[in-house]
Amino acid sequence: MWERTLNGTALQFHLSGINNENFIMKDEQTGSWWQQVSGRAIQGPLEGSQLKRVPHDEVTFATWKREHPATRVLTPDSKSQAKYASADWEAEIAKLPVVTPRRKSEPLEDRELVAGVFTPDAARAYVVADLASLGPINDRLGTVPILVLPFEGGKSVRVFERTVEGKTLEFFAGTGTDEGKLFDSTTGSAWSLAGMAQSGPLSGRRLPGVVVLLDYWFDWKTYHPDTDVYRAGL
Amino acid sequence: MAARRRGVLILCLLVTAALLTVAIPVWLIQPFRHQTSGDLELSYLLKRWSPLGVPILAGFTLFWVIRLWRGSPGVLRRVALVLALGLTLLAAWFAQQNHFEWMFRPPVKAEFALPAEATFLSGDDRVLGVEINGEATAYPIRALAYHHLVHDRVGGVDVVATY
Repeated sequence: MWERTLNGTALQFHLSGINNENFIMKDEQTGSWWQQVSGRAIQGPLEGSQLKRVPHDEVTFATWKREHPATRVLTPDSKSQAKYASADWEAEIAKLPVVTPRRKSEPLEDRELVAGVFTPDAARAYVVADLASLGPINDRLGTVPILVLPFEGGKSVRVFERTVEGKTLEFFAGTGTDEGKLFDSTTGSAWSLAGMAQSGPLSGRRLPGVVVLLDYWFDWKTYHPDTDVYRAGL
Repeated sequence: MAARRRGVLILCLLVTAALLTVAIPVWLIQPFRHQTSGDLELSYLLKRWSPLGVPILAGFTLFWVIRLWRGSPGVLRRVALVLALGLTLLAAWFAQQNHFEWMFRPPVKAEFALPAEATFLSGDDRVLGVEINGEATAYPIRALAYHHLVHDRVGGVDVVATY
């Protein structure tokens, strides 16, 4: 998700090619080519320019609707709807071939779905299939303490910075009657899945969100060659 | 006779150049092929110039077909000339097309509904959601995965959803 205004002009993009299974888009205004996953212009007059990323959330419609009751929803395009993928499209995609080079000691399979997180000086991939059993992860990426918060049975994940007013918080999931709730052990405040403290000493505070990219390992590592992979217990 | 042979040679070169100019990028930047930065650079260059360049090649082809026409009374020769012209015209037409959008058409016009009207989605369907300046918008993943690009304005900011 990108802001498409560059130097005061709103750019209009077209699907224009494929670069190692990530698409290239061309802007109408200058004809430059942009890489979808990085938002960077790779050919043409604007080569080297960078679109500004818009923080996004990838969740179920139920969650989004609950958190944003007044949301707009994109309606299916009547001329194309018949070509939309079926509900099991993820299983279909998983069977497609991969064309990027593989190193000898690759930590993950090419089409392993990862939640990719990056800061200016570090990048880490979390294996989505492992997230459900892990619960909230208090991690540190580079110098930034982060909270990796899986929910919806591990299918969705949000990441937040976990420093509030200079204090770094440790989070844990509630159990028993508090099942499905999130607390910090530093102040005992209860937090929503959207990173908002709902009760306790920090009530009303919000954790700054960190962008998460759900991506296949082969694509993630191409654009974040310095990435490591999160291993539980290390 | 030598002049005629030269004309035929030029014609062959023109047709080959027109066809290669449009075919090379189609081949290089196809899905499920490993692309190098050189592939991208050459594809960009050819795609950049082909909408203008290939029609010019077609114009030269027309010129040579007309010149050679009178000296080529046989049916086979004339069929060959028509074929040469047809191929370059086809290439010139293709150079104006975006074949990626044949497969994945952009939405005619992005239209939006309220959650209560969104009967086309189930609660389990995944969406890409954004909130800018208090305005929230959800883009169903299955629609995005087809269109790849949806242009929008959310909270006063021009954005493009990509997937």
